[in-house]
Amino acid sequence: MPAALDAILTELRESDRQERIDLLIDFSKNLPPLPPELEARRDAEHRVEECQSPVYLFVEMIGDRVALYGDAPAEAPTVRGFVSLLLEGLNGASPEEVLKVPGDLVDLCGLTEVLGMLRVRGLSGVLRRIKRDVTRVAFAHNGSTS
Amino acid sequence: MGEDYARPEVLVSTQWVLDHLDDPKVRIVESDEDLLLYDLGHVPGAVRIDWQGDLQDQVLRDYIDAEKFAELCSKNGIAEDTTVVFYGDKSNWWACYAFWAFTLFGHKDLRVMNGGRKLWIDESRPISRETPKYPRTEYKVAGGDEPAIRAFRDDVLEHIRAKRPLIDVRSPKEYTGEMLHMEDYPQEGSLRGGHIPGAKSVPWSRAVNEDGTFKSAAELRALYEGEAGLKPSDDVVAYCRIGERSSLAWFALTYLLGYPRVRNYDGSWTEWGNLVRVPIERGAGA
Repeated sequence: MPAALDAILTELRESDRQERIDLLIDFSKNLPPLPPELEARRDAEHRVEECQSPVYLFVEMIGDRVALYGDAPAEAPTVRGFVSLLLEGLNGASPEEVLKVPGDLVDLCGLTEVLGMLRVRGLSGVLRRIKRDVTRVAFAHNGSTS
Repeated sequence: MGEDYARPEVLVSTQWVLDHLDDPKVRIVESDEDLLLYDLGHVPGAVRIDWQGDLQDQVLRDYIDAEKFAELCSKNGIAEDTTVVFYGDKSNWWACYAFWAFTLFGHKDLRVMNGGRKLWIDESRPISRETPKYPRTEYKVAGGDEPAIRAFRDDVLEHIRAKRPLIDVRSPKEYTGEMLHMEDYPQEGSLRGGHIPGAKSVPWSRAVNEDGTFKSAAELRALYEGEAGLKPSDDVVAYCRIGERSSLAWFALTYLLGYPRVRNYDGSWTEWGNLVRVPIERGAGA
C-alpha cells in the first residue's frame, strides 16, 4: 500500500468514532478543486455510478505515476471526504500499488462502524472505479510508450 | 404556513424553528442521508437521530423495540409531551421517515421543518457544530400506532386482492421495471423489477418544490387525486424501495391532505421484488 494511504489508515484506525468523523470532514473540506480543463468533462463517462451523489473521477498518468482528480458535492460530505482521502493517499503511487489496495479499505479505515452498512457500499464503488480506470489508463500509457 | 393544509401545525417554518431554539418544550432533531452533515454544522441545539444507527434494529430488519426507543428519547432529553421537530437533507426524506418511526411508538407532538436543512442553510440561518447535552428524561412509550400506519407484505397482498389503491413513489424506470436496481442505490437491489399490481406511479419528488418545501395543498391534490385518482376516503398504501421516500408521501397524504387511512409499506420493493411468487406488474401500468 502507498505510504501516504497507509499513514491515513493508521490515523483513522487509532481514532475514536468522533475523531474519524472529524477527519473525514477535514478531508471533505480539503478536496482540491478540479483543474479547469476537467471541469467541463464532468459527464456520465466520469461519474461514479455506485454513488448516490454526483461524484466524478479522473485518472491520468504523469510519467509512470498515477494522478487522480475528483469532485463530489459539499452537501454529501461523506463521499466527498472519502474521495479526498483516496486522492491524498494514492496520488503519485504506481499503478501496481493502486491495484494492490485492499478492496475492503472502507472496513480497514473503521468507517463501516461509523457510517453503517448501507452507507459504505457507494464508497467501495469509488475505490473500484479508481482501480478500473488506473488499469485502463496505465495499459494505454504503456501501450503508447513501449 | 397559509397553504390550506389539513393539519398546518405539523409543518413548521424555519422562522418558527429559529423562534423556538431555546424553548425547553421543543427538541429539534436532524435526520440525514449523509451522516456527516450534522457534524459539519446543524441548527443550534439540534440533536442527531440516525435512521440507520438509531431507529433500525442492527440485527433484524425492523425498527428498534419500545425499550430502546425509550432510551433513545430519554438520552436526547425528549419527554412524552416534548414537541419534536424533524429536519434533514434530501427534501426531508429522512426527517419524514424519523417522524413516521416516532409515530410507530405513539409520540404525539411531532413536526417537520418545511424546506429542511437546505432551506435553513440557503436562508443563512445560524449553524452550530456543538453537540448539545440535555437533562435526561424517563421516557415512557405510549405505543399502539403501528397497525394504523405500517403495512406488512401480507397486508399488501390483501390490499391488492381487495383492489385498494397503492402509491409507488419510486422513479419512473424503477416503476416500469426497466431498471432492476436504482442506478444510484445498488445496495438496495432486488431480483425482479416492476411494481405491485395496480399501484399508481407518483415519484416522491413531485410532492416537493425546488427549495425543498412541500407543494401547496391544491398542488398535492392535483397530483394525488387528479392524476393518481385517490379519494380522501381511500385506504392507501405507499411504498418505495426501503420505505423512506414513501414516508414523505405518507406524511403529505396524512397531514397535508388529511387522509385518515394511509399506511407505509416499509418492506417496499427490496422485500416485494425478492419475494417468491408474489404478483408483479411491469410496464407503464394503469
